[in-house]
Amino acid sequence: MGMQTTTETTPPSQRPRRGGLRRWLRDLRPASDRLVAGGSLSGLLLRRLRDGVIVLLLVVTVIFFLAHVVGNPALVFAPVDATDEHIAELHRQFGLDRPVAERYWEYLVGLAQLDFGESTWQQRPAIDAVKEALPSTIYLTVVGLGAAAVLGVVPGIVAGARARKPFDKTSNLLSVAALSVPNFWLGLLLILVLGVQLGWLPTSGRFETASIVMPALTLGIVHGGRIFQLVRSATFEEMSKPYVTVARSKGLTEWNILRRHVVRNTGVTTATIVGWEYVRMWGGAVFAIEYVFAWPGVGLLTIDAAHRQDFFVLQAAVIIAGAFVIFSNLLIDMGYQFIDRRIAAS
Amino acid sequence: MSVIVAKRTGTDPGRTSQHRVWSRLIEALGSRGWILLVLFLVLLVAASIVPDVFAPHDHETQNLRARLLAPGESSPDGLHLLGTDSLGRDLFSRMVIGTRLTMFIAVTATLIGAAIGVLFGLLGGYFGGRTDRLLMRLGEAQTAMPMFLVAILLLSLLGPSVGILLVVLPCLVWPIFARVVRAEALRLREETFIEASVATGCSTSTILGRHLLPNVAPRILVLCVVEIGHVMLSEAGLSFLGVGVQPPDTTWGLLISEGRPLLAVAWWLTILPGVLLGITVLVLNLLGRYWESRSGAAG
Repeated sequence: MGMQTTTETTPPSQRPRRGGLRRWLRDLRPASDRLVAGGSLSGLLLRRLRDGVIVLLLVVTVIFFLAHVVGNPALVFAPVDATDEHIAELHRQFGLDRPVAERYWEYLVGLAQLDFGESTWQQRPAIDAVKEALPSTIYLTVVGLGAAAVLGVVPGIVAGARARKPFDKTSNLLSVAALSVPNFWLGLLLILVLGVQLGWLPTSGRFETASIVMPALTLGIVHGGRIFQLVRSATFEEMSKPYVTVARSKGLTEWNILRRHVVRNTGVTTATIVGWEYVRMWGGAVFAIEYVFAWPGVGLLTIDAAHRQDFFVLQAAVIIAGAFVIFSNLLIDMGYQFIDRRIAAS
Repeated sequence: MSVIVAKRTGTDPGRTSQHRVWSRLIEALGSRGWILLVLFLVLLVAASIVPDVFAPHDHETQNLRARLLAPGESSPDGLHLLGTDSLGRDLFSRMVIGTRLTMFIAVTATLIGAAIGVLFGLLGGYFGGRTDRLLMRLGEAQTAMPMFLVAILLLSLLGPSVGILLVVLPCLVWPIFARVVRAEALRLREETFIEASVATGCSTSTILGRHLLPNVAPRILVLCVVEIGHVMLSEAGLSFLGVGVQPPDTTWGLLISEGRPLLAVAWWLTILPGVLLGITVLVLNLLGRYWESRSGAAG
């Protein structure tokens, strides 16, 4: 209403409806109103899945064009002293003299059949190497998220409820510090103190139950910092609502206000925060931490593959990890629908 | 706000006078503390422009007799404030030299990412419609991808170099700028002054560049400060993993990586560059938060 720009002369609802791509483009909604006005649950999940697949396709396409059009795969396989004829021979063997479009289609079909190519370093299908590493990463991220939730949620609620008190100030500064230090460096610091100096915990690999403690703690500190900040501000905001003043004037103790009203009302927000943090974890920190602690997960595999120029393992790791994140995103969304029926009802 | 005021004026039994002095000191530092933070950044910029003024030793001179000296120990060349590495090079001097590339990559990559994000955000927020939704969806979906792995893959495919880092790192930050600028543009396009500019016949580029951009500029600046820190961490991470900056170039992240094999023998090689990096990012974060809270209070 009252929009003066020329492009907004007809409201979206009155624009002519057409099928196919146009329709798909139209129902790309901004993120904020998706959960509220997103329609049915299955519609929402389908849209999420579709977006994920499109992004994955985009990444795969970029990888393909960088590897096959900008770079030359034959050069990767050729020995250092290979002659031009030798490289041309390899070129033919790999079928690189065929049109790009044809190769791209073949590549996509291969990926759809879970054919990620053969690892040059491990001498086995690249997907097997990733399959072997994935459970370790999932295990680490889940335990790490648990640590982050413990470190972030409870102090966050306390700090938000007692805003501007010493505890709030100290923990706030600590959480900013946790977000500011490099995660891999934090891991090294823990190794130095808890592993080398005190000798309490194993420093690398995954051999015993205690192996998980340090990597998970590192993840927990880094991501706990962000969870803390978000939970703190959510609690603070809730505490300044009128009903809290009413509860106070009724004579409820601060503890009861917090326990009976505030924590329950911020519960869904807190769950959302923790859920998002899980997706964020897959955005970076966990892989560097795996490398630091030699944790045999996807991150360590990827970095080893990068050092050995093993393109197929790299590619398989990125695509499978991406698919996993999209899938867990779906699960988290479904979880919210389950927790908060208001979302499902609207 | 009223709740807090009520709490403050209410009885607060646990407070001694000594406590009050302490908290007043913190508060005084809090309101003027940003000067210290800015001073720190000025020092870093100075160190990256004229490193020789700050570095006590030549950062490349090797001295095998002065290997792995602990912080504070001296060699015939003089005092090594932060110790020496396995080739006897002075760590403090190397950290000073590393400042230039660390800052250069972080600032340049952030500015490139900001330019892309601001452009997309302005266009999307002002015009709305399909392009907007497509761009925002792209940015949002990208944050749900393991972009760090994608970055490793790209860097290993194209060969790690500073140039490629300046392509990969902006890809990680543009969605943040786009989201913030878009929200601001959405809000501003409803304002009367934009309506007036349309009515007086300003061209779209004039409205975007002369009227919208100056109004979102403060937000962009604050965001830049915070994001420079995040980009610094990403670069350090990639360099630490061996797919970022390559020796003989030096950044703080690379120094941490080089010190790692000697962690149990010479802790300072790993820990101290990390402390400097952590403090720098912390300073940027605190400054960003401070300015944001001030502009938030004013607006």
